[in-house]
Amino acid sequence: MSYVIAAYGVTVVTLVVYALLLEARRRALERELRPPGGGPQDPTRA
Amino acid sequence: MSSDATLSRIRLPMAALLAVLTVVYAVVVIRAPIDSVQGVIQKILYVHPPLAYGAYLGFIVTGIGGALYLWRGRESYDRMAIAGAEVGVVFCTLMIVTGPIWARGTWGKWWSWDPRLTVTLMLWFVYLAYLLLRSFSEGGERTARLAGVYGILGVVLIPLNYYVIEIFDRRSMHPENLERGSLGAGMGWPFAIANLTLFVAFVYLVLLRWEVASLEDRALRTRTQGEGS
Repeated sequence: MSYVIAAYGVTVVTLVVYALLLEARRRALERELRPPGGGPQDPTRA
Repeated sequence: MSSDATLSRIRLPMAALLAVLTVVYAVVVIRAPIDSVQGVIQKILYVHPPLAYGAYLGFIVTGIGGALYLWRGRESYDRMAIAGAEVGVVFCTLMIVTGPIWARGTWGKWWSWDPRLTVTLMLWFVYLAYLLLRSFSEGGERTARLAGVYGILGVVLIPLNYYVIEIFDRRSMHPENLERGSLGAGMGWPFAIANLTLFVAFVYLVLLRWEVASLEDRALRTRTQGEGS
C-alpha cells in the first residue's frame, strides 16, 4: 500500500506545485506588464 | 482579443473540469478491483501509463509547434513547442519515478536496463536537453529554428519507445503494451477516467505554460523598449 501512496503522492504533489509555480509566474508577469496607475494591461486586451 | 486572453479563456473552464475529474478519479481508483496476482500495488496502473501518454503528447506538441514555427514563422508556435516540452518533461519525470516504485514492489528491484526503460530514459534526456538549450541561449529566431528541428527529431524516439518491446521480441521485463481486453474485469473504466483526468491536467498545464511564455516575451519586449528610450 505504501508504494501506491508514494506513486500517487509524488504525482499529485509535483503537478500541483508545478501548476502553482506557473500561476505565480503568470501573475507576477501580469503585474509587471500592468501600466502604472492601473487601467487595462494592454489596449488590445480591453 | 490577444492570444494571452484566448489561452486564459480556454484554461479557466478546464480548471473547473479538472477539479471535478480529480474527485471522480480518486473515487474510481479507490473502488477499482484489486488484482489477484499483484495485489493492491497494481493500482499504480491508473497513474503510470497515463503519465507516459502525457509525456508522449507533450513531445508531440513540441514537434508540431517546431514544425509550424519553421513553416509559418510565428513566435506563438515556438512558445507552444516550449510549453509542450516542459510539461512533457514533467510527465516523463513522473513516469520515470512511478515506474520504479511499481517495479520495486513487483520485480523486487528499482531499475532494470531493459529496452523500454532505457529508451524512456533517452527520451527524457533528449527533451531535458531541449529545455537546457532554450534556457542557456539568448533566444531569437536562430535558437527557435534550431530548437524546432531538434524538437521534431526527438519525436522519432516516441514510436521506438512504444514498440521497443515488440522490436526486442518481448525480451523485456516490462509488460507488453495494453490492448483492448488486456485489463482485468472492472479495470477498464478506472483506467479510462485516469487517462481523461491526466489528459485534462496536461492540457491545462500546457495552456498555462504557453500563456506564461507569451507574457515573458511581452515583458522582455517592454524591458528592451524601456532601455532603448
